[in-house]
This record gives sequence, C-alpha cells and structure tokens, in this order.
Amino acid sequence: MLAIIQERNQGIKPTHLMYKANLSHNQMKLYLEKLIASGLIEKNETSKGTRIFITKKGREFLLNYIRMKNFEKTFGL
Amino acid sequence: MVKIVLTPDWFLSADVFIDFFSFFVVVIFSLLAIKNYKISKNKRFLYVGVGFLLISIAQLASLITKLILYYDIGPSEQIGQAIIASNIVNSVDVFYYAGFFFHRFLTLAGLFLIYRLPRKQKMLEDYFLIFYFILISALLSKEFYYIYHITSFVLISLIIRNYYEIYSKNRFYNTKILILAFSILALSQLIFIFSVIDILFVVGGLVELVSYLIFLFLILKILDHGKEKNKNRHNIRYVGNNSRKKSRN
Repeated sequence: MLAIIQERNQGIKPTHLMYKANLSHNQMKLYLEKLIASGLIEKNETSKGTRIFITKKGREFLLNYIRMKNFEKTFGL
Repeated sequence: MVKIVLTPDWFLSADVFIDFFSFFVVVIFSLLAIKNYKISKNKRFLYVGVGFLLISIAQLASLITKLILYYDIGPSEQIGQAIIASNIVNSVDVFYYAGFFFHRFLTLAGLFLIYRLPRKQKMLEDYFLIFYFILISALLSKEFYYIYHITSFVLISLIIRNYYEIYSKNRFYNTKILILAFSILALSQLIFIFSVIDILFVVGGLVELVSYLIFLFLILKILDHGKEKNKNRHNIRYVGNNSRKKSRN
C-alpha cells in the first residue's frame, strides 16, 4: 500500500488505492487506520476530495523496508 | 628471532590497509543485518549479523596486533607496553600469538555461523565441524598456519554451495554477486596456504582486497536499491516477488 501511495505525489483517492492494492473496503479501512496511527500516511481533504499522502516517516520506512527485503533476498533468509 | 607473520616488510602498510578495509566492510554488513533484524524481528538477520560481527572482531584483533607488531611508535607502542605491564601477558610474543589466535578462531566461528544459517535441521556434519573447530583451536600455531587457511577455504566453499542453491532458486543478481565475492575470498585463502612464498602472500592479500571490494559494491547496491527507480516502478514488488524471472516470460 505504501509503495502505491508513494507513487502518487499528488496523493491517491481511497477508491483508487483499494483497487490498486486489490483489497476489500474493510481491509483497506483497517490498514489505513493502522498506517495513519503509525504516522506513515496522512489523509487530507483537497479540492478534488479526500486524498491519501505518504509522510516523510512513511518514505523512510518504505526505503528501509525495501533495503531489508533486498538484503533478505540476497542472502536467501 | 622467530618470524610471527609471513608479511614481506615492504607489504606491511598494505597488509594493515587490507585488514582495515575488510574490517570496515564486514562491520557495515553486520550493522545492516542487525538494523534489518530490528525492523523485521526475523532472527535469521540476527544470525547473519552476529556471523559478520564475529569476523569484524577477528579483523579488529588482527589489525590491533599488526599495528603493535609493525609500528612500535606512538599509541600502538603505549598499548603494547600497557598490555605487557598489566601482566595480561608476560611476553610480547604471547600477545601477538593470542591476537592472531583470536583473529583465526573468531573468523572461523563467524564463517561457520554464516554457513550454518540456511540449514534448519541440525545434522551430523555440524557436530563434525564443531569438533573440527576445537581441534583446529588446539593445533593452531605458527607451525600450522596453513590449517587456518585450509579450514577457511573449506567453510567458504560450503557457504558458496549454500548460496549457489539459493541462487538457483531465486536467480537474484545480488546473490550472484555474493557468490562471486565469496569465491574470490576462497581463492585468496587457497593462495594464502602457500604464503611462505612472499609473492604469494602479496597476491593473496590483493585477491582478498578484491573480494572485500565486491562485498562493498554489494552493500552499496543493497542500500541504493531503495532509491532506484526500476522499470516496474514498484520497487517493493520487484524485490519481494521474483520479477526478474517473471519478466522473461
């Protein structure tokens, strides 16, 4: 989800995120709550409606997570 | 005077540099693995981290011993005198041998941990290897310096075999680089077996340096990958799923 949100600099609509992440409405709602509570993403009201943005902390987390997955795959852990 | 190290005099500074560089590379690997453990809580990261940490402590032991042995000036002389004065060891030679013993023992222990990591079940060969370690520890001395290099070579070969199995499944380019780095390290150990010949010691040292340069390249590649804009745009999916393999289909 974070990777999808990060791709959109202008933010992403919740509906688009739900389709792109292939999640049900309930699943997405649950995950969004957790990500917002962790400070990794934020919901903002714009002129085009509700948009979800990745935070600086979210970008850093995603970067570290990608590095971790890369390390994990390199060593076959 | 008994010759403690086989390094030719003109190669002393380069030898210390190679030790310092390898220490630097292995410490980064260790820190990276431990950082990943903190994120994921996957103990296998921790084992890799501890394996590399043991090797880094081994490199540090070798580095300090060589600094004191090669350069009897400034802080290294003071450290050497302090150690002897504090009766930790009663002769300079014993200190040197102890330093190199820790270097060898910890390197072998670290390599064993990295080798053992992908295997979930305890097997007979493990007990054989542990027994072998004890034997090696007892036998290691200046007369049998080559046993250390033979053991390192064997362990690194086993590590290469493990990573080759992993590579045959994941076809991940970084694993290929890892295999290359360990293969060159194994080659350096093979050359070091004959390091009584000055030139072979130098060649072994340079080959070892090349292997650590490749390890450093791998670290940079792992760290840089997060920032990389790959063709699939979804970096995380690219790493997590085997998209290289899929893209060929």
